[in-house]
Amino acid sequence: MVLLICQHCSYKWDYQGENEHYATCPTCRYKVRIPEEKAQMLRRKGLDMELKSEFSLKEQPVKLRGIAGIVNKTIEDYQHDKSMLIQILLRLQNNFGWLPMEMLLEVSKQLGIPINQVYQVATFYKAFSLSPQGRHLIRVCTGTSCKVRGAPIVLDWMQTFLGIERGEITTDGRFSLKTVNCLGCCALGPMMTVDDKYYGNLKLPDVKRILSKYT
Amino acid sequence: MKEVKRISSPEDLKKLRQEIRAKKDSSKPIISICVGTGCIALGATKILKDIKDEIKKSGLEGKVDVRETGCLGICEQGPMLIIYPEEIPYFKVKPEDVSEIISKTIIEGQLVERLLYKDPETGEVAKEIGEIPFYKHQLRLLLGNNANINPKNIEDYIEIGGYSALAKAVFQMTPDQVLEEVKRSNLRGRGGGGFPTGIKWETTRNALGEPKYVIVNCDQGDPGAFMDRALMEGNPHSVLEGLIIGAYAIGANQGFVYVREEYPLAAESISTAITQAEEYGLLGENIMGSCFSFSVRVHRGAGAFVSGESSALMTAIEGKVGEPRPKYVHTAVKGIWDKPSCLNNDKTWATIPLIILKGAEWFRNIGTKDSSGTMIFSLVGKVNNTGLVEVPMGITLRDLIFKIGGGIRDGKKFKAVQTGGPSGGFIPEQYLDIPVDFDELVKIGSMMGSGGMVVMDEDTCMVDVARYFVDFLLEESCGKCIPCREGLRVLSSILSDICAGKGKIEDIQTTEEIAETMRETLLCALGRTAANPILTSLKYFRDEWEQHIIEKRCPANACKALIDFYINPEKCQACLLCLKECPAGAIQGDKDKVHWIDQEKCIKCGTCYEICNFHAVKKLSGEAIPPPPEGMKPIRKLKGEN
Repeated sequence: MVLLICQHCSYKWDYQGENEHYATCPTCRYKVRIPEEKAQMLRRKGLDMELKSEFSLKEQPVKLRGIAGIVNKTIEDYQHDKSMLIQILLRLQNNFGWLPMEMLLEVSKQLGIPINQVYQVATFYKAFSLSPQGRHLIRVCTGTSCKVRGAPIVLDWMQTFLGIERGEITTDGRFSLKTVNCLGCCALGPMMTVDDKYYGNLKLPDVKRILSKYT
Repeated sequence: MKEVKRISSPEDLKKLRQEIRAKKDSSKPIISICVGTGCIALGATKILKDIKDEIKKSGLEGKVDVRETGCLGICEQGPMLIIYPEEIPYFKVKPEDVSEIISKTIIEGQLVERLLYKDPETGEVAKEIGEIPFYKHQLRLLLGNNANINPKNIEDYIEIGGYSALAKAVFQMTPDQVLEEVKRSNLRGRGGGGFPTGIKWETTRNALGEPKYVIVNCDQGDPGAFMDRALMEGNPHSVLEGLIIGAYAIGANQGFVYVREEYPLAAESISTAITQAEEYGLLGENIMGSCFSFSVRVHRGAGAFVSGESSALMTAIEGKVGEPRPKYVHTAVKGIWDKPSCLNNDKTWATIPLIILKGAEWFRNIGTKDSSGTMIFSLVGKVNNTGLVEVPMGITLRDLIFKIGGGIRDGKKFKAVQTGGPSGGFIPEQYLDIPVDFDELVKIGSMMGSGGMVVMDEDTCMVDVARYFVDFLLEESCGKCIPCREGLRVLSSILSDICAGKGKIEDIQTTEEIAETMRETLLCALGRTAANPILTSLKYFRDEWEQHIIEKRCPANACKALIDFYINPEKCQACLLCLKECPAGAIQGDKDKVHWIDQEKCIKCGTCYEICNFHAVKKLSGEAIPPPPEGMKPIRKLKGEN
């Protein structure tokens, strides 16, 4: 049962039907839109009857495997909050390394956000990557200060040394190379990070030594 | 976990502070070591571990405290540590110095001379932190406490008088009085625009609609500035305290802290601060036993420069794509979920407790008439002492760069200083004596921005840097407004052509026209100010543009297509270093034979120029390259000449 109020004639009644989107007002026949949280209750109604349980679906631990399971666990951590979409994707990206299309679809399904919105967010922000990454992520800072202090030389050298352009992965899958606009260590340019480790005041011989540490 | 007693009245807070102070022994040595992102990049984590091990080894456990602090400012000289109570600063500490520091300074009370700061000109050694010129001319109101607290420990902040401003605001003042105090203080937004904070607060307070939100903007996207990170990492409680006071004045019960994706440590620091403040009853339901409740949530960005703009940041908090929207109705009235939302930079919030405690009059007396208070600048680029500098408004650029920054590196000549990130402009030498405040910088075509200050010397090409900013904005533009999306694309191709020596003289006019159009027509402030770097570069350095276009040469020797590398046979020591490192195999020569560059093969990567220990590799632009030495010429040893 769902309590609805008609916007047209202000009549209140308990809606018994099954439509998730609209209900018809019994007095004035006005189409009343069912709010999302009430629609969820309607969807759950059928299930609740079968389970005969006093717990709601949200509290039920859903045991899912694979991508659906990972997504479900992350979304649970954020209490199914739609405004947390970016945070959910960030965590998935951190745990998984990249965001496969299946994962975005799953997020869209479980969070109830249209896939185009999820995809829009995933493609807009730089932190998300929609293709697999190398084992180690190199981020070379190309901020103003680093640029003035010689970041282009480091980047050029790195591209020649690794044989890839920025945004690509080496053929052996060891490194992926990205540039970042500012790492916030402007006093120590040129800067780069490999995975989570920061390296400052780079000189070309150092770079070679640092990269050889990562396999 | 130790049991925490919730603070339920201002007296509780005072009592707790006295207890903490009583527990501390003021004569006990404390080693404050900077573990901000900058020093970590230079290896501070290893030094911290070594210090702890060394203390254990020498049996000093419990007799010496080690305090992990946030950024101490002078990043160039890192990793740095300060030993209290004598305030001895040690710079460029290496792991092998640790045992000497412990045995000499801590146990015997002597100084390790070689780790002290030495003035490059006078050769004077600074034995105290205040003697260093970098710190002597500063007024560190916001950053000064970084050395005294461990950001992960709320008790450190309470000990130095933290949260007493909150107690004063909530228990002795009405929200109106707090608002009035902030308005009277003439505080202007530290994020860049310089909008009066008090008026912004009042707009949100008087706007219709509940609930109201307050937001901390720690999404410092402009390259070259990092004070938001340093403040958030080093003293998160000051930001939090300011935010709570602001929420009290505005009437908000929910706050957000938006932290940039590239600042993981800052996000961690503020999250810890929020948890601790909640445990102590300084945040959450009934703050300090009053009837005021307030909660804060941390929201991490995902790497988009435009999300630092107020309306874009608010859509990002809603979980959508962070694009700006037209601001016919200001975000202070309709922000997150169309509710009144007050957004301020973290430096603005951190200033609030000071104003509440010391009063608006005190604050107005610092700085200039229209821009009161202090401003944090990140002095970076080609200066000797790079780092974070906090000075009263109205200081001249010359004082900043030459007195505090210690002048230009390697004795080179000053060319320009770039303020305000991609929204600001270049300031040439003739304006070095203007006082720095919000209005003066706008007059000469730049802006304060969030305080980034990138110093450029004669080796920096102004056309190349203008191109850099255009490319940066092109990458970061959200693509909503056509003049920004398409204009930047055209500008980028024009500037690339000029840098490659393919420029035409009419390009300068086209560039100016596009830049002016962008300034007039774009939605967000980031786009409207995007023309500043180009216009100021053209205004003050037009001759450089013309040299690129007409003479096809780059006077700063920076534009790759216009320069050639050349090895000076007089200086070459035939060490084989460049020959081995050249990725293109373009360097010819042999052991004891002068090296020369095969210009056909050279890819102009600059590796040889970077690594040569004898400065034998030269960059030539617009000059004929001398022919390679005939045959294999034996070297002339430099030592023989002396």
